[in-house]
Amino acid sequence: MTNETQQKNDVVRNPDGSVIHVDNIRKLYGDFVAVDGISFAVQPGETYGLLGPNGAGKTTTMRMLSGLSPVNSGNIIVAGIDVVKDNRAVREVMGVVTQHDGLDNGLTVFQNLFLHGFLAGLSRKKSKARAHEVLEFFGLRDRSKSNVYELSGGMKRRLAIARSMMTTPAVIVMDEPSTGLDPQSRNRVWEELAILKEAGVTVLLSTHYMEEATILCDRLSIMDNGKILDEGTPDQMIERHAPKEVAQLRVDPASLRTVRDYLNVREMSFREVGALVSVTGVNGDRPDLSGLTDVEGVRSSYRSGNLEDVFLSITGRELRDE
Amino acid sequence: MNLAIPTPGIRRRSVTGLWLRHAVSFVRYWKFIITWVLVEPVIILVAVGFGVGKLVHEVEGAPSYAEFMAPGLIMGNAMFHALFETSWNAYNRLDNDVYETALTTPITITEITMGDILWAVTRSVMTVVGTATVAAMFCWINHWEAIGILIPAIMVGTTFGALGFLFSAVAPHTTFLTLVFTLVASPMFFFSGSFFPISILPNWVEPIAWAMPLTSAVHIARGFALGHLAWSHLWAALYMVALTAVIWPVAIFLLKRRLIK
Repeated sequence: MTNETQQKNDVVRNPDGSVIHVDNIRKLYGDFVAVDGISFAVQPGETYGLLGPNGAGKTTTMRMLSGLSPVNSGNIIVAGIDVVKDNRAVREVMGVVTQHDGLDNGLTVFQNLFLHGFLAGLSRKKSKARAHEVLEFFGLRDRSKSNVYELSGGMKRRLAIARSMMTTPAVIVMDEPSTGLDPQSRNRVWEELAILKEAGVTVLLSTHYMEEATILCDRLSIMDNGKILDEGTPDQMIERHAPKEVAQLRVDPASLRTVRDYLNVREMSFREVGALVSVTGVNGDRPDLSGLTDVEGVRSSYRSGNLEDVFLSITGRELRDE
Repeated sequence: MNLAIPTPGIRRRSVTGLWLRHAVSFVRYWKFIITWVLVEPVIILVAVGFGVGKLVHEVEGAPSYAEFMAPGLIMGNAMFHALFETSWNAYNRLDNDVYETALTTPITITEITMGDILWAVTRSVMTVVGTATVAAMFCWINHWEAIGILIPAIMVGTTFGALGFLFSAVAPHTTFLTLVFTLVASPMFFFSGSFFPISILPNWVEPIAWAMPLTSAVHIARGFALGHLAWSHLWAALYMVALTAVIWPVAIFLLKRRLIK
């Protein structure tokens, strides 16, 4: 696997040096604007994230990029291919992991990979060899003869990612690679994606998990309502938009009113999720909660600002899973 | 890396790749599917041939009832296979995102229909070869010209393969697909001249029966099975080709509407 994946840096670059170049694309469904004139570029070997809530336009963007959905206007160039003009050629060079695993229940694990590789253009011999390689890499070798419906959710997801690797693509587009997985499977997927990255594969992924974006992405865009609101490295985004420190208070219901009054009087901004109250100080500095230390039923801790705070600060809304 | 594949034009690997997928899946489940390919039609063939055949002593243009009925039944059965493949099975593939996944490779919707219809033809031919062989063993098919039944077998696979997509491409749920069988398959199975000559139907029904594509297929198959071919068989063949030329593009259109959003 590694021998072949390491050739990835040979990817054809666009005239501007990028691998994916998206220029002002728009997508309309009737009157609804799903993607509203977004632009970004992904450099060779980079992992780039589109971070946003459900309905932000991430999936539509991914589908347009992989030539599965026509654009209403704008340009997309991937590895030197004009996707708007030639949506077939882009699917030759790009691996795609769709949001739903899209596994074939009529086939075994191995057959899913082998037949996908064959359909994508590999010879039968090459596709078989590659399927074995990919199964080995994703730790699915002993499941090779299993029916796909017998696999756990995490294994299905990894098989879907493995499938996108069949043609040894230099660019992979992944729509929410770890959505719906338990934390353990998610870590496993992240580890595997990290290895791909090391091998030089250019990855564009969408996610609504800020943790995923932080761990995997070199750069990312925050998307909402079909628009890109800001772009940068996770650190830059946090520096730009998130408070340096956020206080987190676990508050018993009986003390909730006291806490609210305290924060309101001092004009500190806060939000409540269940029994958890996150408090941001003035100018993003550590909020002064000394007055609350004696209140019964309040436990406080501090954490640094994260992408979740970035999203909140840019959009005024929470970036929640569902 | 060859990037020079133009978007229009047909990519052969798309068609063979999809066909191979169906063949591999078929091989996995052949023990179940074979009952439908061979066991069920042979049961009907034997029941109708020996049962009804005993009661019917005279039928227009054929030496015996069994010889009259056999090619009709064989074609009717082939129709069910082709329709099932692109309605029920194709719907499941739509529903499970199998086509969605296929589309991440350099395949087009047109090629998807080609691969699937090629497989529908394969199934049609398989069941026709199987059942015709059994019919020949019973001496219900007696002419060497009967080998020509493969021609209507291929046509049935193509026409009904395309027709099945009209249903799967618009079906909101699997129950909808019942319509394929209640509205299309069953009426055709019984009114396409398989079990009795269309000429004995009331005058006003006759043109309706001839409009059904299976009627043409049965007519052609019977010509080969009984060893006398006439110009009417050519017209019937042209009718099926013309009908397919209309249905297939509509199927592609409907699938595009469903898959390319």
